[in-house]
Amino acid sequence: MDIALTDEQLALRTEIRHYMERLMTPALVAELHGEQREGGGPEHRRALRQMGADGWIVRSWPKEYGGQNAGPIEQYIFCDEVIRAGFPYPFLTTDGVGPVLAEVASEEIRREIVDPILKGECIVAIGYSEPAAGTDLASLTTRAERKGDKWLINGQKIWTSYGNVADYVWLAARTDPHAAKKHHGISMFLVPTSAPGFSFTPINTLGVRTNATYYENIELDDQWQVGPLNKGWQMITSQLNRERLSLVNHGPCELLYERVALWAAQTDAGSGSGKVIDLPWVRTNLARVKSGLEVLRLVCFKQAWSMSHASLGMDQASAAKVYGSEFFVEAWRLLLEIVGQGGALCSDSEGAILQGALEHRYRSGSVLTFGGGTNEVQRDIVAAAGLLMPRYR
Amino acid sequence: MDFSLSEEQQDVQALAAQILTQEVTVDRLKALESGEERFDEALWQQLGESGLLGTAIAEKHGGMGFDFETLCLLIEEVGKTVAPLPVIPVLAGAAQTLQQFASEALCERWLSGVASGKTLLTVALTEPGRDDPTQPATRLEPAGAGWALHGQKGMVVCADRASAVLLTARLEGELVLLAIDPNARGVALTPQHVTTGEPQFSLHFDAAPVTQEDIIATGASARCAIQSMVQHTLVANSVMTLGVTETMLKMTAAYTSQREQFGRPIATFQAVSHRAADAYIDVENLRLACQQAASLLSAQADATEAVLIAKIWASDVAHRVSQSAQHLHGGIGVDRDYPLFRYCLWAKQLELTLGGGKAYLTALGDAIAEEFKQRAG
Repeated sequence: MDIALTDEQLALRTEIRHYMERLMTPALVAELHGEQREGGGPEHRRALRQMGADGWIVRSWPKEYGGQNAGPIEQYIFCDEVIRAGFPYPFLTTDGVGPVLAEVASEEIRREIVDPILKGECIVAIGYSEPAAGTDLASLTTRAERKGDKWLINGQKIWTSYGNVADYVWLAARTDPHAAKKHHGISMFLVPTSAPGFSFTPINTLGVRTNATYYENIELDDQWQVGPLNKGWQMITSQLNRERLSLVNHGPCELLYERVALWAAQTDAGSGSGKVIDLPWVRTNLARVKSGLEVLRLVCFKQAWSMSHASLGMDQASAAKVYGSEFFVEAWRLLLEIVGQGGALCSDSEGAILQGALEHRYRSGSVLTFGGGTNEVQRDIVAAAGLLMPRYR
Repeated sequence: MDFSLSEEQQDVQALAAQILTQEVTVDRLKALESGEERFDEALWQQLGESGLLGTAIAEKHGGMGFDFETLCLLIEEVGKTVAPLPVIPVLAGAAQTLQQFASEALCERWLSGVASGKTLLTVALTEPGRDDPTQPATRLEPAGAGWALHGQKGMVVCADRASAVLLTARLEGELVLLAIDPNARGVALTPQHVTTGEPQFSLHFDAAPVTQEDIIATGASARCAIQSMVQHTLVANSVMTLGVTETMLKMTAAYTSQREQFGRPIATFQAVSHRAADAYIDVENLRLACQQAASLLSAQADATEAVLIAKIWASDVAHRVSQSAQHLHGGIGVDRDYPLFRYCLWAKQLELTLGGGKAYLTALGDAIAEEFKQRAG
């Protein structure tokens, strides 16, 4: 057992870190605010194309697509550094939907979508959740019906992040309303956001902007139905497993922990009692974050390592998601306590501490405990797959 | 990066699991516990014959010559069965410290006996009210050609059977690590009754004679040796906590899956399965913290933070998983005819050994403050 990163992995980390520092130009950083915090603006699009041109997007892909088949540990390091740099990287497009399309879509779709994805020119949004189908996703009602040799799509999706800037939506729709089990009648579609009948309205959440998207009599050729008919559920679940892994990267928390600790070491505690970091309870808070964070880092690398050995269990992925998402909530609280009342100042305020990063984090952080598969369901999976406990049906 | 076990490590793990699960039956534990001492002499000898006691002792001293990480696999298996075997003080505390810091003569004198099971060595790390062995009140005073030992140590495991006890003392303000024969003149042993029933003793030293050959290290090298002894003991404790909590969790999953109330297994209530799932996450997280600390100690890399983090997790996980296991079992969990109680007692003893988690949280906080004050310049 050797839990340290290899010299090559450390060198890769340094290379990506330096690359991302150059990529995050002042113009891009200035653009990533408010409505465009999650990307999609012209500077973000330009930077994404640059990453494509420099070969970063294709790196994790198989050799036949020009990739280097980068291993899961290397890909984790890449994800972590990109997120750490604050760049809104469309992982679900590049590492979620993209490889699936490359494997099962028609020649034409590959040319029209897969190549642009690899060039950083195409963003795909995910259309799974509906107002009445959240945790119980298989009860979705958006439908796709045969009309001659076309498909007719009608319905509504919610929490469609990137829906306002994406080129396509990766849509789950019901194609067999009479299937014996509700998750047996679902198929996957690619819906161009330029198609007549597609529209969106913003949903401004505590943390970020997302969208409700609407599909009204959208006509699609058969080639936009991707993968086996009525067998979309397996594609959704394998995709969600990937998503779960990218939700709890340790990098952003590590970065903020370090920034807060440095701030505490530089800032006077007042009334001649040394620096903030000299206060015993501040040290305890930092130690709590550090001990939780170190284990999260190990959890993430263990997952990546397991994936490279094709042995990642469902219980492991779900345990990581529960632990990471709940640790983040606790970590933001412990770090906010250290900066104190000033922690409530927003990024655009005079006197904001650490550019208001913690104020934004605590607001957007709570989404993770229910997003990407709510933690109750993850605990069900841990008990069933990890402890072999029976489930109630 | 590699989380896998080597073939040799898998062999050690399998051998330990085979012997311990076969031998450590509930009846055998009950018989031992109704006797004089909760120490399984026959099983200790069996582990000696199988070579397992020498897992991390050099081949030239009769051991298998594997590293500390491999020894931790044996310790985890002992934890899983709560076998009455003092593997932590003897193998992780005394033997590892001697091997790394003592003279060749001392190693030759003691280690082959430890590996075969003929000799028992132990460590005395705490004094009444002092859990930090680098701050002993026990002292050495010059006496003739050597010294005389004065003071007191507490909670020394198997001191009555040990040929030597490793302990710290002050000599004119300097720290000394030495080995003393607990049956020698000037040493008084008093049995203590500890929550698990493990045989522990307080040692009173009243001018116990110490000669040059009893001294393992002094000054800076003693500090180094003691730090290493504490780190190895802390990690071994954390690893044993891992084994103890793994079994508690397994028992809880099995029991709640067959126990029926309201016409269905109680495991099918989410209030039950979710608490068990949290315990599962705790145990798997502890495993990673332990693996990192053990791996760094084996590589003789700086393990300071990793050891603190392992101990912090072990203390919390011991407490949380133990309480959950007992709660989810209900009444049967506290019944001394059902095996869970032993694990709960061990969890608490391990949690408190060398002090609870908060002391280590403070130590980690101090280390962090030091690091960032330096960065801040």
